[in-house]
Amino acid sequence: MFRHTPLRYAALVLLASAALFQAFTAEYFGLEILTEILILAMLVIALDMVAGFGGMVSLCHGALLGVGAYGYAILSTKVGLTPLMAMGGAVAVTGGIAWVIGAICARSHGIYFIMATLAFGQMGYSYVFEAPLFGGDDGLGGIARLDLTLIGLDLNDGRSFALFCLGVLAAIYGAAVLILRSGLGRSLSGVMHNEQRMRALGLTVWRVKADVFGLSGLISGLAGVMAAQHVMFVSPGLLSWTVSGEALVVVILGGLGTLVGPLLGAAVFVLLKHEVGALTSYWHLVVGVILIAVVMSRANGIFGWIEARFGARIERRAADAVRDIDPREVKTDA
Amino acid sequence: MSLDLGFWTLQALNALQLSMLLFLLSIGLTVIFGLMHFVNLAHGALYALGAYFAASVAAVGGYWAGFFLAPVAVAGVGVLLYSGLIQRMRKSGPMAQVLVTFGLIFALLDITRIVWGDLALGLEVPTLLAGRVALLGVEYPVYRLFIIALGQAIFAALAFVLSRTQIGAMIRAGVDNDAMAACLGINVERLFFIVFCVGCALAGLAGAVAAPLLSVTPDMGLQILIPTLIVIVIGGLGSLKGAIAGSLIFGFVQTFGAVLAPQLASVLIYALLAAVLVIRPVGLFPAKE
Repeated sequence: MFRHTPLRYAALVLLASAALFQAFTAEYFGLEILTEILILAMLVIALDMVAGFGGMVSLCHGALLGVGAYGYAILSTKVGLTPLMAMGGAVAVTGGIAWVIGAICARSHGIYFIMATLAFGQMGYSYVFEAPLFGGDDGLGGIARLDLTLIGLDLNDGRSFALFCLGVLAAIYGAAVLILRSGLGRSLSGVMHNEQRMRALGLTVWRVKADVFGLSGLISGLAGVMAAQHVMFVSPGLLSWTVSGEALVVVILGGLGTLVGPLLGAAVFVLLKHEVGALTSYWHLVVGVILIAVVMSRANGIFGWIEARFGARIERRAADAVRDIDPREVKTDA
Repeated sequence: MSLDLGFWTLQALNALQLSMLLFLLSIGLTVIFGLMHFVNLAHGALYALGAYFAASVAAVGGYWAGFFLAPVAVAGVGVLLYSGLIQRMRKSGPMAQVLVTFGLIFALLDITRIVWGDLALGLEVPTLLAGRVALLGVEYPVYRLFIIALGQAIFAALAFVLSRTQIGAMIRAGVDNDAMAACLGINVERLFFIVFCVGCALAGLAGAVAAPLLSVTPDMGLQILIPTLIVIVIGGLGSLKGAIAGSLIFGFVQTFGAVLAPQLASVLIYALLAAVLVIRPVGLFPAKE
């Protein structure tokens, strides 16, 4: 189950204040990068939920993001819904599709699960690429952002939009923590550790997997809606499997199953991409080498390494403090 | 569209040619997975390297020099990868292996860009195999027939080695139960090394063979990776039969889908894959159930 350690709180506070500082001080380019980080962070939280806490390594989350983005684009430009309704519609559609994918793939494990989700993702990619409704190769433009002038926010301004994304990300993070701590999230952890035992306990395993996959799909869809509003344009490239692959890389770089780590990973990944990309056009080489080094070091990503290095010491100190206060209480507790 | 005999022959030959190319790639990948449960996503990048080696050597020494040297050179790269990375990753889980080879895709992609540049390279079909030949009422390029024949020859050779020779028996034993095979005195690690190198050489060969048909670009490895993975998952991991069956299914569905139902063509193969995974989650002909 997901727990907040003091270290995780500290990392969250640091990341949030860095994002706020950036949102209030940065110029145009800095705000664009910040928004990119925030949207990627939404997607990787969705992916960490299923991969880190359910063992479902999905290669279709890029496609789910794309479904959310296209759903918003179609509902707002072609169907003519208001942006808020289009947002709700797109998120609901993505969640539904994700639930179905999760239900179908629930029986597969390991490499077969990866391949099955990849197949569904590619199916969506090919369909969107070819269908004339979706504008094919050219994509769709003219997408409006949400109108929040009622509460005094003009989202067409880069700074307001970045702040809005930060708010959405905070809500998503809170929702993910609530889901993982709920009965459903605890069942999911049980399924990851021992599926047969959970089945013997009377749990309908495929329902748990499908439900969490669907919830993760809702989050991915919301990330897609925000991506569509950010660029105001959608293209089939959003659904490509390399987007899913990159999201997985970010989760691993940050620290699988820590929820805080992927946030850090998203920031590192986007900054690395822009910094190295400004120096050389071969930034894939750098990312590839870093990825190999991180995986071969056997640490659980950047945040996993920090937790292993410092977290144990902090927790031991906390435990010592408790024992100093009242040794009997600790004993009866154990 | 005239659906006469010539049309069916032409499309069947096209499908066979695509199938054989995919077979060359998937057989190495599937046996590596079957033997050692190692997922090598960088297999497609090795194919791209093969095409680049072939194109560079062919520019100096003619097509056949490239054809024979590319597999050797890619096998050499395979040896480097094995001793540098893969040997150390053997004991980690599939997730770590997928990620390390995913990183390798990134790295190899940019290395080919650094060495050979972003522009597409071309490779001429050798004079021996140039031109067309009349076959069952259609004119068909000799070079494509050569690919079909080559694929079948490799299939026959591998089928012979796997079913009739001692090393083939050792490989089958290793795929079936590697711990037991090791107890019987088979050096499974060395076996894996050999299979890995042969798989790399076949990927290089596929690249060299494909180079004159497609233009040689850095992302050709990424483009072929997904079809190859689909082939081995439909066919079932670890078996020769699965690789050839998967390749033929992919080749025919893709080719006939594109001419008979162009709107559905691209979705069709993924729908088929999803259907196979739902009905038989381990593929059609897995090495072990």
